[in-house]
Amino acid sequence: MAQDTLTLLRRLNRGVAILIGIILLACVMFILADIALRQVGASFGGTDEISGYVMAIAAAWGMSFTLLELGHVRIDLLRSRSAARGRVLFDLFSMLVLTITISIIAFRCWPVLEKSIANSSTANTVLETPLWMVQLPWFLGWTWFALVSWVTLLAAMMLFVQGRFAETESAIGAFAEQDAVL
Amino acid sequence: MITYVSVGLLALLSLSIPVGIVLFLLGFGIDAFFSPFPLMRGLGQMVWSSSNSATLIAIPFFVLLGEILVRSGVAGRTYAALDRWVSWLPGGLIHANIATATMFSATSGSSVATAATVATVAMPQAEKLGYDPKLFSGAIAAGGTLGIMIPPSINLIVYGFLTQTSIPRLFLAGLIPGVALALAFVLATVLICMVRPSLGGERRVFPLAQMIAALRDLLPIIVLFTIIIGTIYKGWATPTEAAAVGVAGAFGIAAFFRGVSFSMIAESLLGTIKITSMIMLVVIGASFLNFTLSSAGLGRELQSFLTGLGLSPFSFILVIVAIYIVLGFFIETLSLMVVTIPIIVPLVVAQGYDPIWFGILMIVLIEMALITPPVGLNLYVVQGARKSGTLSDVMLGAVPYVIVMLLMVAALIAFPQIALFLPSFV
Repeated sequence: MAQDTLTLLRRLNRGVAILIGIILLACVMFILADIALRQVGASFGGTDEISGYVMAIAAAWGMSFTLLELGHVRIDLLRSRSAARGRVLFDLFSMLVLTITISIIAFRCWPVLEKSIANSSTANTVLETPLWMVQLPWFLGWTWFALVSWVTLLAAMMLFVQGRFAETESAIGAFAEQDAVL
Repeated sequence: MITYVSVGLLALLSLSIPVGIVLFLLGFGIDAFFSPFPLMRGLGQMVWSSSNSATLIAIPFFVLLGEILVRSGVAGRTYAALDRWVSWLPGGLIHANIATATMFSATSGSSVATAATVATVAMPQAEKLGYDPKLFSGAIAAGGTLGIMIPPSINLIVYGFLTQTSIPRLFLAGLIPGVALALAFVLATVLICMVRPSLGGERRVFPLAQMIAALRDLLPIIVLFTIIIGTIYKGWATPTEAAAVGVAGAFGIAAFFRGVSFSMIAESLLGTIKITSMIMLVVIGASFLNFTLSSAGLGRELQSFLTGLGLSPFSFILVIVAIYIVLGFFIETLSLMVVTIPIIVPLVVAQGYDPIWFGILMIVLIEMALITPPVGLNLYVVQGARKSGTLSDVMLGAVPYVIVMLLMVAALIAFPQIALFLPSFV
């Protein structure tokens, strides 16, 4: 069951990631169109503002994909020197800390959205974007990240209790060094 | 507070908690122990305002650009083409490794991807042509590090964002040191291979016609680089706009070489999201830590800390360099940069140094961290691609290039103009 849940989560987040990727591509085209328009003296106006929103939303929603792909950087100097059981303990502990931290962040993101809704705040720009429209998907992104973290943590704990250390490690272990970039 | 952050940082990192999360935790701690006002209330707003950024969206664009070029097979062509141009030098194909890495770093801004790509295409050649595997693989690992220096560099975007320094000026500042470093790598290789010709493998001279034919594979990338950098410098486009143009250009190049397919696009997008979110978690965490540190009065504490040290600016910068070299053994590029910026950059600026200059100096030190054991990501990447021999071969092979980097650090300290000359024109 734990393994099925993880597979499902991975598939869902892959879909989410492709979707964000497409939004990023759309943003690229939007910027290009604006550059082209500028040559003839016109402009959509507000490409900067919109790309900012896209970035905030894309970053929030991409987090859980990166989590399941073991992409969040960890320094595994001590961890990599431990035996299998020890490594899994490191992984579970760091997963627990991550889950709690992300939950706090998601919890603290809510007042930002709440205030925008309560005051019907608009951005201080030409577009006068109602902020809740862009902060809602941003907030949901962080909430999704917290949710995925909890489910992943529980699934990993279940695998650990069943003594399936190798599977636990492939669910929440440190990234494969060859895949990392930067 | 400085002690708390430094000790806490090392302790939490060694528990292998993700770097971005560690930065948030330190911020929580500052709030709990050092701040007279409740800073946690600002958390949500910090997360929003640091990620709602038209500057940072240049990061996914530049990553995507590199992903497209790598996944569409353009890298292999570049390598073969550069081989024809540079293999007449003593050291032969090793120069093609360095040159390919330089060209790719000039467009994609990612070090490890560059090293991985070059290693995959180059390694089979090395055995065939009888190169010394140590020097050959060391050169790939070192060449790959150029990616974070030569603009457009993602690390410089992050540095500029966190220190509020002009990104176009940082890009401009990185150009001369980056190219100089690449040339110094070439020079070091030539010298080594003249002293010990057995290390260098076979030198090959290609007929001029073949060299010219190879230009077909090189020109598109050179043009792309010129457009990206040219438009930023001329002030025609922001780094973000130039990056968007770059993505379109990369698609164009990939299409020209018939490398575009649905699976290529999907893989490139997934790779981009993975890397972008990884970077953003660290960047948002660092922004929050920055915010808590300055709200809790780091500025005053730094001043008294500096006075207490009683070092001259020169010996102070030497201490900083030593700290980076030591930390660089254990912590990797982006993490090393982001975790040290909140404390070290204000200290350095308080000593009267230029933040642009220090950004470039820091990048050289971080490049070095990529190829110094025991934690040197590029070493592992190259070793992963070569599938034989041991990791220590790659480490030994990288030693000459580490020395070159140290010389570069000394040169930057002695002649800050190396970095500051070009930005002085804008």
